[in-house]
Amino acid sequence: MWAMLDTGQKVSAVGHVGFLAVAIFGGTFNADPLPFQVTEVTAISAEEYAALFEAEPSPEAVANVDTPEPPEAGQAPDLSATVDTDVTQAAPEQSAQSEPDATPEVVEPAPVEAEVSDEAPVLQPPSEDVAVLVPEIADEARPEDAPRVAPETIAQPEPDVLIDDVDQAATTEDDTAEQVEEAQEETAREAASERIVTEADDAAPARSLRPQARPTRPSEPAEAEETQTADSDNDAVEDAIAAALGGTDETSQAAPSGPPLTSGEKDALRVAVQECWNVGSLSTDALNTTVIVAVSMLEDGRPNTGSIRMLSASGGSGAAASQAFEAARRAIIRCGANGFPLPVEKYGQWRDIEITFNPENMRIR
Amino acid sequence: MIRLFMCLCLAVAVLASPLRAQEGPLRIEITEGVIAPLPYAVPSFVPGNAAASELSANIARVIASDLNGTGLFRQIPDAAHISRVTSFASPVQFSDWKAINAQALIVGAVDVDATGRVTVRFRLFDVFAGQELGQGLQLVGTTDGWRRIAHKVADQVYRRLPGESGYFDSRVVFVSETGPKGSRQKRLAIMDYDGANVTYLTDADALVLAPRFSPLGNKVLYTSYESGEPRIYELEVGSARRRPLESQAGTMSFAPRFAPDGRSLVYSLSQSGNTDLFRMDLGTGRSDRLTSAPSIETAPSFSPDGGQIVFESDRSGTPQIYVMPAAGGEARRISFGQGRYGTPVWSPRGDRIAVTKQSKGRFHIGVMRTDGSEERLRTASFLDEGPTWAPNGRVIMFTRETQGEQGSSNLYSVDITGRNLRQVATSTGASDPAWSPLQE
Repeated sequence: MWAMLDTGQKVSAVGHVGFLAVAIFGGTFNADPLPFQVTEVTAISAEEYAALFEAEPSPEAVANVDTPEPPEAGQAPDLSATVDTDVTQAAPEQSAQSEPDATPEVVEPAPVEAEVSDEAPVLQPPSEDVAVLVPEIADEARPEDAPRVAPETIAQPEPDVLIDDVDQAATTEDDTAEQVEEAQEETAREAASERIVTEADDAAPARSLRPQARPTRPSEPAEAEETQTADSDNDAVEDAIAAALGGTDETSQAAPSGPPLTSGEKDALRVAVQECWNVGSLSTDALNTTVIVAVSMLEDGRPNTGSIRMLSASGGSGAAASQAFEAARRAIIRCGANGFPLPVEKYGQWRDIEITFNPENMRIR
Repeated sequence: MIRLFMCLCLAVAVLASPLRAQEGPLRIEITEGVIAPLPYAVPSFVPGNAAASELSANIARVIASDLNGTGLFRQIPDAAHISRVTSFASPVQFSDWKAINAQALIVGAVDVDATGRVTVRFRLFDVFAGQELGQGLQLVGTTDGWRRIAHKVADQVYRRLPGESGYFDSRVVFVSETGPKGSRQKRLAIMDYDGANVTYLTDADALVLAPRFSPLGNKVLYTSYESGEPRIYELEVGSARRRPLESQAGTMSFAPRFAPDGRSLVYSLSQSGNTDLFRMDLGTGRSDRLTSAPSIETAPSFSPDGGQIVFESDRSGTPQIYVMPAAGGEARRISFGQGRYGTPVWSPRGDRIAVTKQSKGRFHIGVMRTDGSEERLRTASFLDEGPTWAPNGRVIMFTRETQGEQGSSNLYSVDITGRNLRQVATSTGASDPAWSPLQE
């Protein structure tokens, strides 16, 4: 049988037998017992247990307890109390009253009078006023502009010279020569530069301008208008600005100036108008009509009643539009009688107002 | 360098342009307003002579009553007036009327000549606009007809302020009710829309029901039990002459209503326990059947163009509202809410239908679009029924009956918005109102 086993099986059998032998005879299974705590007890009988607990008598109920006597009826407890005396506190010594701060005199800043001359200022380019941080740009030999980059710089050839790979002088017929050579035109290599010249290198300014000092604000706009120079350069600048803003001089004058109204300011105007927009007496047809009304405002916030006009109407008949417009006009006039709550400093923004009166939410449901 | 500066300016301008939040005028939109009566003033009209003194005050009073009754206007009492109008031609001191917040001002003058002719002139002003609304108008009548003159002035004011035709110079035919509830006597009566000038058209011998005006207002159709069975009669308002229109033996005819052209009527005819709609040519007396169903079809009402008829039918099991072509044909149901619907009446404007609705033990007057949409209940009580439209389609009048043995019927009116519910002043109990068109 042993011979029938192959080598692997033999090795395995020997290994297993050896392991078992070591385990059994080597004391592997004779480990020390785990430590544990031993408490000695004594077995007693039931009689002994009862006798043991009879020795401890149960507590007796106490019959006589000293209790406080209740107060006699009608005998009011003495609730007198002494009033706390006021704590005398030494008044703080009042220091001598300091001299009030002298009211600073408000000195209205005197308007700076603009020194204006009728003569147009001469714009001079800043010569020495260069930006501090601008590194000095050394004058650098600048290659000639050439469309081609080559290992060596080749000067611009004469315009009539043919472009060729080699430079050749022109030849002409010489009647005295024995050997006649064919006439040849002058050739030259194409102009080239040894470095690439970019557009930025070509057009970028070498130095940046320091911003001019803020001009002194003229005290009166009227004066400012009068001081508009007739310089053609300045006109050109203004024209350029106007063109950039997309309008001509006239439109730029009509456009509102100043900061726009905030949403809160618009809401205040809206609420002021709607408080007087009474649609209770409108016909059902007029309640289906939306009108857009234009009004010009005075600077004190009151509407110019003569300027109120209907721009458009939609949703109803002509008669209904007329009724809707009348109601809108009454609303503007009534609630604008004392001036709408509009910021006067933004008058340019609300000088002309278009109000859409949309009764959609007020219709008969 | 200048070129460079220009470039910089351009760049600044282009960059700054988006910051401009507003182009052109300031624009706002108003979507909420107030719904309140428009305050107005109508001082006593200036009497042209002593005979016109009392009349001028009465005319102004009736005008104010008409306008106040709409719920759209609020009269500023005379005691609050700062200006006194002593001459019709004198200029108006708008500032005085602005000060008391009078938004409209009516001034007028009354003259009465020796023959009893009354001439009334009036002007209407928009106080805050400081201008006259429309042109001044002069009306001439008799002293007996001074109320009609006042109503016409009020109609003109109404036409110019709310911008739609008025309804003050109109009349109402109704059933006057007297006596206890168990044995109530009913008579046909006609009155001004505000309850004045009541005239009785029939005596109390027979029960009368459901009077309806002709398009011209000169005739009335009604149902009478004079013969013991309900029959349709036509009555001329001026002479009170009447004639029966339908008298087939063994039938009952009721619920008549004129066609808009006045040449035919539609009514219900009950025969052998079945009720259908018929249309009668008043010229020939011939009747054509419009419906043929085992259910009850009644309360027909023409559309203003005469092309359709709205009526009540219980063909679906409960009374509902249906619309069909005026010549008969397939009817389509338009009421689908919970409850029972009845007595539909087409608005003179043609855009709405007024109905009586019974739901959860309460009666309502409601309005709906002609396709049944946007149903709105405008009243609610123990018993509201029988709506009729004012000539301008803005107001509905109906019958309200109170509960109990001592309960009575009265006429009420309500704006189609549901506001301004008012009882119409009548000297007796009243029911079944029908509003006339505006008088010529």
